[in-house]
Amino acid sequence: MVQFHEHIITDLLEDSQGGLVILSAGLCLHKLVASLLHLHHPSQGSLLILSSSPSQKSSIIRSYEATIPPSQSSQSIPSEITSDLPAHQRLSLYSSGGIFFITTRILIVDLLTHRLPTTSVAGIILLNAHSLSDTSTEAFIVRILRSSNRTLFVRAFSDRPDGMVSGFAKAERTLKCLFLRKLHLWPRFQVYVSQDLERDPPEVVDIRVPMSPYMMGIQKAVIEVMDACLKEMRKTNKVDVDDLTVENGLFKSFDEIIRRQLDPIWHTLGKKTKQLVSDLKTLRKLLDYLVRYDAVTYLKYLDSLRASESFRSVWIFAESSYKIFDLAKKRVFRYGKSDGRKSLGQIKTSVATKRRKLENSISETDLAVPTEGGAVLEEVLEEPPKWKVLREILGEIQEGRERQSLTDEDLITDYSGNDNGIVLVACKDEHSCMQLEDCIKKGSHKVMQEEWENYLLSKVELQALPKRGKKKMKEPKGFGILDGVIPSVSGQKAEVSSINRQEHEAMIAAASEIIKHRKKDDLGDNPETCEGGEALKRGKTKNKNRLKGGKTHKKATTDSKLDAHPFEDEDQKNEGTSSGAGGSLGLEPLIDNKQLPPVHFYAVDTDQHILDILQPSVIVVYHPDMAFVREIEIYKAENPSKKVKVYFLFYEESTEVQKFEASIRRENGAFESLIRQKSLMMIPVDQEVSLRLESFVESQSTISQNMVTRKAGGRKEAEKETQVIVDMREFMSSLPNVLHQRGMRIIPVTLEVGDYILSPLICVERKSIQDLFGSFASGRLYHQAEIMSRYYKIPVLLIEFSQDKSFSFQSASEIGDDVTPNNIISKLSLLVLHFPRLRIVWSRSLHATAEIFASLKANQDEPDEAKATRVGVPSEEGIVENDVRAENYNTSAVEFLRRLPGVTDLNYRAIMDGCKSLAELALLPLERLAELMGGQKAAKSLRDFLDAKYPTLV
Amino acid sequence: TSASSIPSRNAILVSHRQKGNPLLKHIRNVRWSFADVVCDYSLGQNACALYLSLRYHLLHPDYLYFRIRELPKNFKLRVVLCHVDVEDVVKPLLEVTKTALLHDCTLLCGWSLEECGRYLETIKVYENKPADLIQGQMDSDYLSRLNHALTTVRHVNKTDVVTLGSTFGSLSNIMDASMEDLARCPGIGERKVKRLYDTFHEPFKRII
Repeated sequence: MVQFHEHIITDLLEDSQGGLVILSAGLCLHKLVASLLHLHHPSQGSLLILSSSPSQKSSIIRSYEATIPPSQSSQSIPSEITSDLPAHQRLSLYSSGGIFFITTRILIVDLLTHRLPTTSVAGIILLNAHSLSDTSTEAFIVRILRSSNRTLFVRAFSDRPDGMVSGFAKAERTLKCLFLRKLHLWPRFQVYVSQDLERDPPEVVDIRVPMSPYMMGIQKAVIEVMDACLKEMRKTNKVDVDDLTVENGLFKSFDEIIRRQLDPIWHTLGKKTKQLVSDLKTLRKLLDYLVRYDAVTYLKYLDSLRASESFRSVWIFAESSYKIFDLAKKRVFRYGKSDGRKSLGQIKTSVATKRRKLENSISETDLAVPTEGGAVLEEVLEEPPKWKVLREILGEIQEGRERQSLTDEDLITDYSGNDNGIVLVACKDEHSCMQLEDCIKKGSHKVMQEEWENYLLSKVELQALPKRGKKKMKEPKGFGILDGVIPSVSGQKAEVSSINRQEHEAMIAAASEIIKHRKKDDLGDNPETCEGGEALKRGKTKNKNRLKGGKTHKKATTDSKLDAHPFEDEDQKNEGTSSGAGGSLGLEPLIDNKQLPPVHFYAVDTDQHILDILQPSVIVVYHPDMAFVREIEIYKAENPSKKVKVYFLFYEESTEVQKFEASIRRENGAFESLIRQKSLMMIPVDQEVSLRLESFVESQSTISQNMVTRKAGGRKEAEKETQVIVDMREFMSSLPNVLHQRGMRIIPVTLEVGDYILSPLICVERKSIQDLFGSFASGRLYHQAEIMSRYYKIPVLLIEFSQDKSFSFQSASEIGDDVTPNNIISKLSLLVLHFPRLRIVWSRSLHATAEIFASLKANQDEPDEAKATRVGVPSEEGIVENDVRAENYNTSAVEFLRRLPGVTDLNYRAIMDGCKSLAELALLPLERLAELMGGQKAAKSLRDFLDAKYPTLV
Repeated sequence: TSASSIPSRNAILVSHRQKGNPLLKHIRNVRWSFADVVCDYSLGQNACALYLSLRYHLLHPDYLYFRIRELPKNFKLRVVLCHVDVEDVVKPLLEVTKTALLHDCTLLCGWSLEECGRYLETIKVYENKPADLIQGQMDSDYLSRLNHALTTVRHVNKTDVVTLGSTFGSLSNIMDASMEDLARCPGIGERKVKRLYDTFHEPFKRII
């Protein structure tokens, strides 16, 4: 435990009511919480942990276990309360005094149904406080608990300070809704924190890797397009100009900034502005992926983008985005004609050999490749510059260690004593981890080659045959993107013709080559001789290539998927010309002889905090990340005796650097603003809080009294109370909370029909705007309207808009000239025509809904809980009480299943009974499907759909 | 504009009360004509509509109630078409909602005259239309269906569908893919991989 963590805890414990702690990202919140948990004793009552993400949950448990003092070894570790546990078991857990992770939905339901005695709770630990608002369920829970349990403490945490400054006086409002007084701020620059972390900092090597010229080009182009989009945005005068900077544009939160400003007026915006918003998001991703993905994967992503982006996208047709596509392609391959008067590449000779090869193979195989005129597809396959640097670092580390072991024997013993020699390479995502691992194992160009082959295959495999003989379509055109513009202007089928056909055909040729080779590998029992023969035929292979060739042969036998052979010398040449020849060659044998230190790859995104487990002595930060850097600092501070060396790999002059630096600036900025807010805050002093509580309790008196009377068994005031029956699933939303704030009693049950029952007559199905569109499309709304109309006299569809979004479906300009079936107006009209008894309630916001409910309930009888739950429940099926379907079903799988062809309302249950999961379904033979689905025809349409070849779009 | 002289079965009948309502300009896809009708707009045998501007309602809060009271009961669908033309909607809309709901009227809101006009047109045009459109049928081509199915998984977008399709070749391959293979797809991050994998591999019914 680092010292400042102790400081934080002492500060926090000063106030028995609890407090809100905001600390910098990466300061190991999980360890802090774990040490706090150690202070808990079962005699105080149970301790509930709310709103933790799954990864937080596991890392808290892990740190807790790791730090259990031997004296308390019997202490139970925090467990989880889920709705799988039957009610009585949950009750016994609540009163056991243990520590539990629990979801807000279960907790609120148990509180409202009095399954959880409020006095048995000692306190609440609330994580991710930045995502809280006064209508969220967490606030609801705290309100109910506080109103009857005065000793309760609430300790809230957030390590996203930037999330705490969005919106007006967010920190203060968060404090208020949790009934807290103390705000504790622990930025990285706080004196205790920086003292602890800078006492003995790790040794840092900052390596700036230059980007390749193409990467620079792409980055420049993306930023240009981004800038252009931002300028356009400024012209609209809808967004605060200060926020529209490229630097802001690099962050995810930029979308939020824009959204917050635009959402309330969204319906008044033109199509262009809306498109700009989504384009900016796309561009941000392009920048991010540029430094994370290799050239082929990047191109693949661009292709997918182009295939899926709407024609309206402004950016795709901006002048600079031509450059993006063009350069991205140039990083992977060059394409030219064989009459090649102009050499497309700088290396003429390589073009020539290349062409010869392709022609060779064509004549050999007699494949009717439409471009026998002599298309040349020349692989460039630019490697990410960081790859090489990583290999060099690893080699250097190893060398260093060897030298050390020679010179200083004493050190070795020491070194083997507390150092396992592991080198940790930290990347952003799992994908990069796997790829880098492959790079180290197989060599980097092999990896590129594999990516390239897969790219070709995924792209053209399926079209190779039908495209044969369509020679007429050949047109002398430039690069793909150029003619990509023409058809898109005319509007239709841009994706089909967006890539130059000849180029495409050349790809087919290359792909069929690969297929052929793979087949050969599969069939031929002696691939070595076979390939060796080919290599000889090609003749020109140089000595060192032959050596290499020999190596790959071995690999080819073990892995039939590999056939990098035809391209081998090409790559070698590229490597040779890239000036770092000595370095890369020197490294090759190193890799093959496995003289590298043990390397572990770690994806920062997985949030697993593995530093303590692995205890690495060298850390390579491959993708710099602020939070991870802090974790390293803490790791070092906790292990002062350990030597830790950290390598940072930045692309020079890249947005990566900019983003890293900006993230620190932004966090500091957020803290400064929080410090200011704290000094100005209307700190509710002691009495004020209790007063607030008092008045709150008074306003809620009907409820608390009801609680009392309920417990006492008397129902004197029964006629006064107003109650609403709410479906369990609705507790994901904030409406129950707001209804409760208005003084209604909330009865959570599982409803088969409707979401809210206001009276014996009124049943409400609530739809947010998003839900509304979705459930029209799926047909669910039709079904719900039908069933509500069957069971209730006044079935109501509540269309609830969101307060901060516009109150309307569409702007007048979007309505169009004709009645079109897909318009929401058409769907609603059709709905009311078919359900003339269905009443529609249009609500501006959550709070407006609460008001409407209250007013509709006036002069109506109170709804009956038992009756409401029975409605619509098929009587012969013994449906369990309190059955919460969302927990018992894999809902997204069920929804997915129901959207497959051949699956209907009638047969989907049978399918679910007949096979366990979708993965299993994918493997069922036709006959079995026919049995389950009750018909050959349905089964066939499903099977066909599952097996249909995905048509390539390019 | 195009008021035909002979009242026809295919036309919207407009009450003389509505004379001068700029809304009429926006009824273009259906013929309409003035007639002696109690409601504001007669949309066929089964449906009728009253038009109400919220601004007017603020001035004459009782108007709606009296109009509804005189409506004949023989229309199956009685629409109150509310033009939301004020900024501060919550209170007036609450009143209109309550009046409509408790007196057997269906409330429809439009935010522009165009939108209000379109509701009238659509109800008239769709008078005898079956409900297929909202019963969950969808485009039947392969890609739309694939999109439709895969996008049930949260946060999976159309670009991801293209990526998944071109990487794995068929839906059954996607459904059978390992986490590792899914993670190799560009643009599919940690969370999406998990969601996809869980959707495919977690059992339909969780063990209770």
